[in-house]
Amino acid sequence: MTTIPHLKTERLTLRAPAPSDFGLYRDFYADAEGSGNYGGPLRSDQAYQKLCADLGHWHLQGFGKWIMERREDNQAIGGCGIVHPIGWPSHELTWWLMPEHRGHGYAAEASRAVIRFACQTLRWPNVETHMRDENAAARRLAEGLGGKVVRRETFPDGVTRDVFVLPEPEPESAP
Amino acid sequence: MSTFTIPTLETERLILRAPCAGDMEHEYRFYASKASHFVGGPISAEQTWRTIASVIGHWMLRGFGLWALEEKATGTYQGRTGLWHPEGWPEREIGWTLMEHGQGKGYATEAALKAREYAYTKLGWKTAISLIDPANEGSINVAKRLSATPDGTFKHERFGHMHVWRHPGPEAA
Repeated sequence: MTTIPHLKTERLTLRAPAPSDFGLYRDFYADAEGSGNYGGPLRSDQAYQKLCADLGHWHLQGFGKWIMERREDNQAIGGCGIVHPIGWPSHELTWWLMPEHRGHGYAAEASRAVIRFACQTLRWPNVETHMRDENAAARRLAEGLGGKVVRRETFPDGVTRDVFVLPEPEPESAP
Repeated sequence: MSTFTIPTLETERLILRAPCAGDMEHEYRFYASKASHFVGGPISAEQTWRTIASVIGHWMLRGFGLWALEEKATGTYQGRTGLWHPEGWPEREIGWTLMEHGQGKGYATEAALKAREYAYTKLGWKTAISLIDPANEGSINVAKRLSATPDGTFKHERFGHMHVWRHPGPEAA
């Protein structure tokens, strides 16, 4: 049995990926520019496989990616979570947003909830993330979360990246 | 909170259960070898891990999927068999992929019969196909043993040209 908890923040619900999210994945990965930092663009059958794999990750690792749903209108706008693809040296906090929903602080808000979950429920001491040097938006977000670069590492894809450690955020008043 | 459960089935010689991390070593070896060339291999361990993760996720999205086959006598993982319908597939399929050590023992046939019975009796399927590479003689023999018959062709973006084998319906199976 696989259990995926749901998390709530001020503006978002983080919930398990569902069959109805296929359209979101398909549209996100069809856009070469928006999905360029995420292995895109992908054909629709590949986007479906991605959705399947994101769910299966929970079963194999006990953690994974949630769908970010906006609470005011229940609209799914992206995803956030922790992944650790096998063969990679470390886990990674990751987030993605449909381009039209970027710039509202959703990724940071979801990330804080995910880091808190990792520290409090999974009992990890902290959470790591990494990004390509040219991904300035991701770097800003990691720094905004209080992240500090702890090492520079060459990953199995041959790309050398800064690795950030992200501390447990201050408690938030319950939403 | 969302919970997902994969049912466990049993045949004379096999347990059909949810795939687990312990199966991965066998899958890495299989997908690293030429034996995987009918099912998209050889691929890296990382890609293999993602493939198996997506096999599990398929269960959670569709409510059916591929079971891991465990040999009752030894507890060893033999491969995967079950019900498959990802995006891009022409219709619902009964599929099987056996590790090298699981081949030649009739396990694919034994498990596919159980999976087909599950599809017809529990899920109410009225028909099912199997997609098989025309050069994959072992798999074609399994289809024949299951009384499936040729029913045209299908070209997949990634897996290429495949033959469609149609299974007998619920009344005939």
